[in-house]
Amino acid sequence: MNLLHDKKFASIENVRQGLKNAEYICSKKIATTVYLAYHLEKPILVEGPAGVGKTELAKTAATFLGAPLIRMQCYEGLDESKALYEWKYGKQLLYTQMLKDKLNDVLKGAKGLSASIDKLHQYNDIFFSRSFLEPRPLLKALQQKDGAVLLIDEIDKSDHEFEAFLLEILSDFQVSIPEIDTIHAETRPFVFLTSNNTRELSEALKRRCLHLFIPLPAPELEREIIRIRVPGISEKLRIQLVSFIQQLRELDLKKIPSISETIDWARVMLLLHADKLSSDLISETLHIILKFEGDIKVAEEHLYDMTRKAIKEAAI
Amino acid sequence: MEQILKDFILALRSSGARISVPETIDAMNTVKLTGYHDREVFKDSLSAVLAKSLHEKEIFEECFYRFFSFDTFSETTGDFPENLAPDIMEENSLLSQMILSGDLGGLASSIREAAREVRITGMQFFTQKGLYIHRILRHMGLNGLNQDIKRLFHKNTLSSRQMAEKLEKGKDYLFENVKDFVEQQFALYSPSATENLIEDYLKSIKLSNLEQRDFYRMHSIIQKMVKRLNDIHSRRRKTSKRGHLDFRKTLRNNISYQGILFDIHWKKKKVDRPDIVAICDVSRSVETVARFLLLFLYSLNKSLARIRTFIFCSNLIEVTHIFDEYPVGEALVKLQSGIGLGIVLGPTDYGQALRDFDENWSPLITNKTTIIILGDARNNYGDPQTGILKSMHERSKRLIWLNPEPRSFWGTGDSEMKKYLPCCHLARECNTVHHLERVVDSLLSLES
Repeated sequence: MNLLHDKKFASIENVRQGLKNAEYICSKKIATTVYLAYHLEKPILVEGPAGVGKTELAKTAATFLGAPLIRMQCYEGLDESKALYEWKYGKQLLYTQMLKDKLNDVLKGAKGLSASIDKLHQYNDIFFSRSFLEPRPLLKALQQKDGAVLLIDEIDKSDHEFEAFLLEILSDFQVSIPEIDTIHAETRPFVFLTSNNTRELSEALKRRCLHLFIPLPAPELEREIIRIRVPGISEKLRIQLVSFIQQLRELDLKKIPSISETIDWARVMLLLHADKLSSDLISETLHIILKFEGDIKVAEEHLYDMTRKAIKEAAI
Repeated sequence: MEQILKDFILALRSSGARISVPETIDAMNTVKLTGYHDREVFKDSLSAVLAKSLHEKEIFEECFYRFFSFDTFSETTGDFPENLAPDIMEENSLLSQMILSGDLGGLASSIREAAREVRITGMQFFTQKGLYIHRILRHMGLNGLNQDIKRLFHKNTLSSRQMAEKLEKGKDYLFENVKDFVEQQFALYSPSATENLIEDYLKSIKLSNLEQRDFYRMHSIIQKMVKRLNDIHSRRRKTSKRGHLDFRKTLRNNISYQGILFDIHWKKKKVDRPDIVAICDVSRSVETVARFLLLFLYSLNKSLARIRTFIFCSNLIEVTHIFDEYPVGEALVKLQSGIGLGIVLGPTDYGQALRDFDENWSPLITNKTTIIILGDARNNYGDPQTGILKSMHERSKRLIWLNPEPRSFWGTGDSEMKKYLPCCHLARECNTVHHLERVVDSLLSLES
């Protein structure tokens, strides 16, 4: 991994700029962590509220590195056969059926049962070879010659066993398949794990990773994100939007709007050809940023004040 | 730099962050990579390597600022006695010389050196502060200073008296600074031992005597407990998940492929998760305990998937969603004030609560359900509705009653506990964390 991208990772600023070119605006903290992860060859465990761009970071890193993104979505009950590899049982059986007729040729000349078995043993390994191996995301990531970005999404949704099983791969980047051999990573993949903190992850896993917490963005950062992600939106509207969203986050809501909602909202504004916020416009589009009926009601109570403040902020 | 980093990690550890040896090595490598000239980068990179949860990040932030902002003697230079001509100082001790010449840097490094010599990192309790202040001063040469002052007063010339006064002033000043320094060091290195003491104490104290300020500490104790117990038992619960080849099903499914086995089926063992219904009394009589019982339910809710939680006073409502949606502090405030939840905080009515449950949620109870009831069974002489509890008992796998009152109080006055007792598989007195721990243990071990 080191030889491939040294230029891109020459400094923290380089990383930041590179991610920015791939349309991901990040704080210096994020850039520092990505920079460190590359040089220390460690996975990054990314935590933070939903929708702040945890998964997006991994995707952008893939673009930045020019490497394929291999994504593994975790869920309860995920096990190694779905994450690592599986034998193509169907294919194996089909081949056995088709090759039944060939059996006579193979066994020709063998006398007695044990001689036949011995002869069969010579062909033993054919069915457990790489051509019958079905690689799943983890193995696929190890097999990429030019490296890959491996995204293990929502690791907190998986079971404890799976987490324990990951430990080996994350520290040594190798997998042993008993029938074949140990497969080492040709190039270490760049690994991101994301978690929404639905359960506490084990100490052992955390120890192997760098830890990055992405909070909801500060106003300047959010404005910058909107500027890059939704080009064409007017300066004034951009400031108003962000100000309104920042105020919303201070209310007592079930689900606080995150960056992805701000971006969606900005896009909708663009479609509606709006160039400034108004109370009517907001109340018509509130359902885009708030996902619960109760939340919308709470927001509507404060709508007037918040709109006024947002408009005032943009005027300065 | 390496020593400073090690000291910093020590300080982090004693503030409660768990940092392992590999992480220490990572930190060393990190510093080599990023250097320490840019304070922000230095902080961010150490944070990424050392602090592995939001809680630890907070500890880290606080520790970082405290640790890297030591400027002994820098802020209070105004009070320091003025410099004297250096020519009459040969007889004085090194410490006196430093004071007289106003060598603040020298004094600061001398304090640090003395602190290291007397092993200040070993300080554990606040009662030791005085001891360490004294040790440091002695190590810096306080005796010499005192003798100098005495001798100079004795000489009784104008200049010597002046000098002695300056030294006296300097001594007070030195004392203040050493005291500050020890305070800072105590804040950095010591809390863990005290913390452990407090934890032990909190575990055995009655829940009703706990103060609001112990709340977060209690939360972490309970969390730790639930997590540990859950770890022990979940391992046993989940031993076999993907079972053997389901031969019959595989054959049957593949008949249409002329017996070629395309479609393989595995015998899967369903994970047996504990199925818990928790019902908690939040009335005034159990108010102080209820907070911690709710805390306990909250932690349980976070680590076990299927738990439905109800609270009641004059009526009964379901609150599972509150646990899912809010962080612990907010959730408990919401539950205890009951605002917007539809709970009536009048006189406790166990009869009504049981009726409410029976009418609305009775299908929840199957032969796999464990019911936990938390309450003192004081019913204000109302109808206890023992019949409903009996039918719940019969339909459930287990019914556990945790009563914050000592056993000898059960059945006295308006307590209906004696009547409810026959309907419980298990009834326990529960008013300390130790009690809770025992209950959780038996609960989880029965589940498997």
